[in-house]
Amino acid sequence: MTDLPESGGAGAGAVGQRWLRADAEAKVRGTFRYTADEPVGRVCYVGVHHASRPHARIVAVDTEAARAVPGVAAVVTGADLYRALGDRLLSGPAFGDQPALAYDRVRYAGEPVAAVLAWDLATARTAADEVYVEYEDLEPVHDVDDAVAGGPFVHSELRPSAVFGDLAHLSGRTETNVNYEYNLRKGDVDAATAGAATTVRGEFWSPPTHHVPIELPCTTAWPAGDRLEILSTTQTPSYVRQAVSELLDLRLNQVRVRTRPLGGSFGSKMYDRFEPLVAALAWVLRMPVRMEATREEAFLVTTRHGVAVTGHMSADADGNIVAASADVRYDTGAYADIGPRITAKSGMVACGPYRLEAARVRSRCVYTNKPSAGPYRGFGVPQVTLSHETLVDELARARGEDPAAYRRRHLLREGDTAAMGTVMHSADFVGCLDAATAAIGWDSPLRREEGSWRWGRGVAVGMKAVLTPTISNAVLQLNQDATATLLISTVDMGQGSDTIMAQIAAEVLYLGRGQVRVVAADTDVTPYDTITAGSRSTYHTGNAVRLAAERMRDRLVFLGAERLGVSPTDCKLTADGVVSSSEQRSIALPELMHGYFGARGTTLTTEANYTTQWVPYDHETGQSSKVTEHWFAGAVAVELGVDTRTGRIRLRHVALAADVGRAINPTMVEQQLIGSAIMGTGQALFDYIVFDEGQMLNGTLLDYQLPSIKDVPDKITPIIIESPHRTGPFGAKGVGETVLIPFAPAVANAVRDAVGVRITTLPLTPERVLTALWDSANGGTTA
Amino acid sequence: MTATTIELTVNGIAQQLTVPDDELLLDALRRRLGYTSVREGCGVGACGACTVLVDGKSTSTCLALAVRADGAEITTAEGLRQDDAVVNSFIEAGALQCGYCIPGFVMMATELLSENPQPTPQDIAEHLEGNICRCGTYLEIRAAILAAARRRAETAASGSGSGSGLEARA
Repeated sequence: MTDLPESGGAGAGAVGQRWLRADAEAKVRGTFRYTADEPVGRVCYVGVHHASRPHARIVAVDTEAARAVPGVAAVVTGADLYRALGDRLLSGPAFGDQPALAYDRVRYAGEPVAAVLAWDLATARTAADEVYVEYEDLEPVHDVDDAVAGGPFVHSELRPSAVFGDLAHLSGRTETNVNYEYNLRKGDVDAATAGAATTVRGEFWSPPTHHVPIELPCTTAWPAGDRLEILSTTQTPSYVRQAVSELLDLRLNQVRVRTRPLGGSFGSKMYDRFEPLVAALAWVLRMPVRMEATREEAFLVTTRHGVAVTGHMSADADGNIVAASADVRYDTGAYADIGPRITAKSGMVACGPYRLEAARVRSRCVYTNKPSAGPYRGFGVPQVTLSHETLVDELARARGEDPAAYRRRHLLREGDTAAMGTVMHSADFVGCLDAATAAIGWDSPLRREEGSWRWGRGVAVGMKAVLTPTISNAVLQLNQDATATLLISTVDMGQGSDTIMAQIAAEVLYLGRGQVRVVAADTDVTPYDTITAGSRSTYHTGNAVRLAAERMRDRLVFLGAERLGVSPTDCKLTADGVVSSSEQRSIALPELMHGYFGARGTTLTTEANYTTQWVPYDHETGQSSKVTEHWFAGAVAVELGVDTRTGRIRLRHVALAADVGRAINPTMVEQQLIGSAIMGTGQALFDYIVFDEGQMLNGTLLDYQLPSIKDVPDKITPIIIESPHRTGPFGAKGVGETVLIPFAPAVANAVRDAVGVRITTLPLTPERVLTALWDSANGGTTA
Repeated sequence: MTATTIELTVNGIAQQLTVPDDELLLDALRRRLGYTSVREGCGVGACGACTVLVDGKSTSTCLALAVRADGAEITTAEGLRQDDAVVNSFIEAGALQCGYCIPGFVMMATELLSENPQPTPQDIAEHLEGNICRCGTYLEIRAAILAAARRRAETAASGSGSGSGLEARA
């Protein structure tokens, strides 16, 4: 590993340490300022009027009563904004299909139709109810498979955005709800299946769910001369700046986007959410405008895709997996958001991390009349993992083999070529599987019956590609007193990036905890970064930070050599400053900086870019020699009980193993693993959005179930696997999604083991478990 | 809407406020007085992010009217002392990720320890059931509360005072 540092040496060693989080004390004491806590002066609040219909033509919007409410400053309809901005009002990361306010049609119940502005929030919200919209109902389409089959059509034509050039060929396509289709082809699946000894098939459904970060979205925008300033809860400040500059036809330097560390996000505060609406109102009305979303509005602004999968897996007489398939339908709701990218990224791994002789995937992104679905921790991969991890489990069982041992035999290894044509590196599936199963005592005896309880064990493996190609930048300022200020646009939202990036810089520069300060993203100050998402930051931003720090180190060595009057090749940076080995002399950084500039308080600046490249996949076959920069590999093993009287499931032990390349901060890695287990417990057992005729029925926290302290599994074992990545910063990769991906399938597999019943629809609620047990006992079908 | 003038004490500081009768205690504390540790996460008393102590009892301020706090003594997370056992145990245990929900947990933990100085893990779960940490920091939070209980017991046993004596009300 040539890239591994000469760390280990005295003084360095920030990497691998369990540093406490940056700002831990302020966050515990409640004095830390999140986005909504920043002072912004007097602002006009937005109250949004939401559509009551899932699909309708807007005939008229009557704003008179709302305008008459005392304290209302303005009422703005979609038509008003469309008159001002034209087609620029339509935005979205993959398709320019979503208006900040609906102006001709509403496409989901809850869609913003009008904005009421008032100088106090209560008035704005009250007056929003006084807007009256006359609708002409259109036939809605609610079910993803109905939408695939034909009309009604949610959009009259497809409008790819300028962000992804490879979607351009879809422009203008009509009479379809399928906005994107990814295909993977390897070998002859039909022939291989026909000749197979064992074949298993399944239909799977993962329901729509919600991220529910506890911090609600808050966006404020105000004109400042010829500029627009935006302060927003966003994971994607660079993206928002670009989107708003396009929306308002402003130059990039006329738009400033700031954010603060977020109170959680999980994909919900990503791309543009309320920013286009608030920016448009602020710019058009020339006033400071603030949107504080309610929890109900946060539920409606984005969701996780409900996904249907039809899949199969076949083995020959020796057990080799000769064929696998997945027909995947992503319900992306009324607006595509990043759904087309999710469809492709998940489609490429929909047959699992196995050595497959033949594979076929058809993955489609489908409009329906529901709130838009977008990115959510795992980027669509958890939903297809339910399919391949159920199928491989059943294949093992059909052959009479142990599900863990069977997986082990067929998992991809270093150097193997995966189904989409990319060679595997630094993805230790076998190590993860072995560690997770060993932790729960997979091979130890299990008492399977206790009263009405049945106990069982299950395992699942997950595979995901990191977002590629992407761009990160870092600017590092070394202060004269040997502290440093790091300028990056990565957003800390609980994953701990401010701490991780500080550790990476500190490792190179021999600094300690508290000596590297990370500046919150501000597009006037911090350089471009694609997004904080998809577990990409540790690798990408981490590499940019490492490079910037190495340049700083080289600069310091050069300056130190000059001061010491020796050759730079004779010098190195250590905890004591720049040290000359031949002269046995050293110069501390504060002294070096002071000597160089002749002043106190000065700064020395370096910067670096880190950009990854890929080979775009073939549109017919999905094949690519390099579809991604690197892989996430993880495994979850579960021991659980099912109460056959009530259908209740109790998670007695979950073990989660993730290959993180190298743990920059083991505590934060473990928190990601444990946090995934807790979020995964909800997704496996009870967490889902209920729709009825397009209306979201449980979009409040009274109705939507989230894991509480009482839902935590009895025992959680996080396991860090380190298979260093050759180009990762100190070998590191991200970990935010790795074990959430196989979590729910591992639980479903353990339920199968406990009670002998296969359930392929999530979540595994007591009702669903009881129904499945009943059906099984009565010879019916499984749920 | 009529308005009422109320007097209350927040973190030891006497305050007089004139608030509309329908104003939530959450808004009075956050927007009028600037206690931004008091956060709306759900608006329906289901997440615990807006929890403060009103006369020592945990209260979801998103469900409480400000006028009902007339005469009350309120403690928010900002008002806990520099050497507070719960606060310092949370920090040392790393009992936070994004941190947004944590002040609510700190207030619940403070109430729990005042009622039950030596809680079991089960007691902690019962008491904290209504608070949601979406990052999933429950294990660290539980460890922090157990550590805070030990810390308090040790402080009581040694009878030691604390800090520099120089402390402002927050």
